Amino acid sequence: MAGKIVLCRCEDVTLADLEHCVSRGYQDIEEVKRYTGFGTGPCQGKECLAAVASQLALLTDQSPAAIPPFTSRPPLAPTPLRLLARDPGAHRFADDPDSERSS
Amino acid sequence: MARRLPGHDAVRGEAIEVRIADTSVRAFPDESIAAAAIASGTRVLARSLKYHRPRTFFCFEGHCSGCLVRLSGVPNLRACQAACAAGAEVEGQNAFPSAEVDLLGAVDFLFSRGMDHHTLMTGSSVLNRLANKVVRQLSGLGKLPDRAATELPEVAVRTVDVCVIGGGPAGLAAAAATARAGRSTILVDDQLRPGGSLRTDPRTGRRAAETRWADTAAAGVEVLARSTAIGYFPEDDGGVLAVSSPDRLYRIHATSWIWATGGYPVNLPFPDNDRPGVLAARAVGRLLVDHGILGGDKVCIVEVPEVAADAAALAAALREAGAEVGRIGLASATGTRGRSWVSALDTLSGKVDCDLIAVAGIPAPASEGPRQQGCKVVLDPPAGGFRVVVDEHGRTSAAGVWACGDVTGYVGPAAAAEHGARVGMNVAMATMAVDW
Repeated sequence: MAGKIVLCRCEDVTLADLEHCVSRGYQDIEEVKRYTGFGTGPCQGKECLAAVASQLALLTDQSPAAIPPFTSRPPLAPTPLRLLARDPGAHRFADDPDSERSS
Repeated sequence: MARRLPGHDAVRGEAIEVRIADTSVRAFPDESIAAAAIASGTRVLARSLKYHRPRTFFCFEGHCSGCLVRLSGVPNLRACQAACAAGAEVEGQNAFPSAEVDLLGAVDFLFSRGMDHHTLMTGSSVLNRLANKVVRQLSGLGKLPDRAATELPEVAVRTVDVCVIGGGPAGLAAAAATARAGRSTILVDDQLRPGGSLRTDPRTGRRAAETRWADTAAAGVEVLARSTAIGYFPEDDGGVLAVSSPDRLYRIHATSWIWATGGYPVNLPFPDNDRPGVLAARAVGRLLVDHGILGGDKVCIVEVPEVAADAAALAAALREAGAEVGRIGLASATGTRGRSWVSALDTLSGKVDCDLIAVAGIPAPASEGPRQQGCKVVLDPPAGGFRVVVDEHGRTSAAGVWACGDVTGYVGPAAAAEHGARVGMNVAMATMAVDW
């Protein structure tokens, strides 16, 4: 271990990484996500989003309320694909003329 | 070392055997693989994907990525959300040759000041491309399952007046209130057993969780345990919440939605805060009050002032169970020591020997589901993170969507239960007006 302060354990994003990212001019939460990869691991930001956003507010001297969260997308938790395979929505997709044309 | 406390009233039943990293381990059918593993001395389960730092249990509630394992041939399952079954085979992943001794851990030292994967070999685009190829070989999580899934289960549909998401103190109280007012109510909870933070707090505990769960079911609520809200799809049949459970997917339609998802345990920023043996304070509480497992004999609690009362309650309960406990403010924590598990916490006033570090931060509101339903959230660090904004009745900014408990800002189990009961009654009253 090398004294790293880890903010996002899924993607190994440290406080130093966040400072580096901000120093390169990426200061918006979506930019920070894309540059560092924080919040893109198995936990999808459950553990790190609040921590990174709070540190970002401090580093960029913004009021916390000015920092929005990154976009939340399904699935919110790891999901076996077999559970989705029989969704009635999937049948409708197969009947869709647009999807036939493209196949 | 973690150990089971004799005479604890955890529901245990007959002991069974599971295999963890080729060693037979005593376990109980009612507990998670993670609980059995930590009680039997398992330390490192995996390696992180970039620096190959050791990874293992942290939150014990399925919300971090610390305890991902390969379980009976299926990769990337959370050990804390898998119930022990006789004959289960647990393997670590993402390490060579093993999680405990991983040669790739050298990456951590080679890049001791960090690694910017955009500019691995600054100055040479050719070297950069090569380095990125190597990195891609080293990264990734787990290996493909032994075999493909053969059963594709039918999807179940539920149409109800009220859907409550989260079965902690707030959600159980809210669902009981709407059901008693005659509203058909379903409650989904992602844990092995509902109860949420009731099962982590020595001031409430396992019995309170079991009682309130039973009361909520008795009020007529359909309680889906081990069921996770994975997404809200507004364009689909007038809005549908997809919920995954171990054996099927549910599509839920509801007139009113109540988010009671609580907060996630978080780590705090101090050097080497990710060393194995650094657990969320709530996880240490859960092991103690729900599983009857004392996580360590010498425990350091690293805390922030906002949760001092919670930390004090945990410290008292750990001491009563026989542990030595020290409480250290975050600002004083300067590092951790230990090889495959913590052996000490470094502080401004010197080294404190310990075999467990419990991190007491403010739980981060679990607001990503409400965000998908269009609820306004605001970053409010003293409330733990992005809290859902609600009015005095519990209404969010989205029509028909309500929230209560810690997801609206950290309040703790007692206040969350009161808030849940109040918001549940408000939802029942509001939908009565719609009926007329």
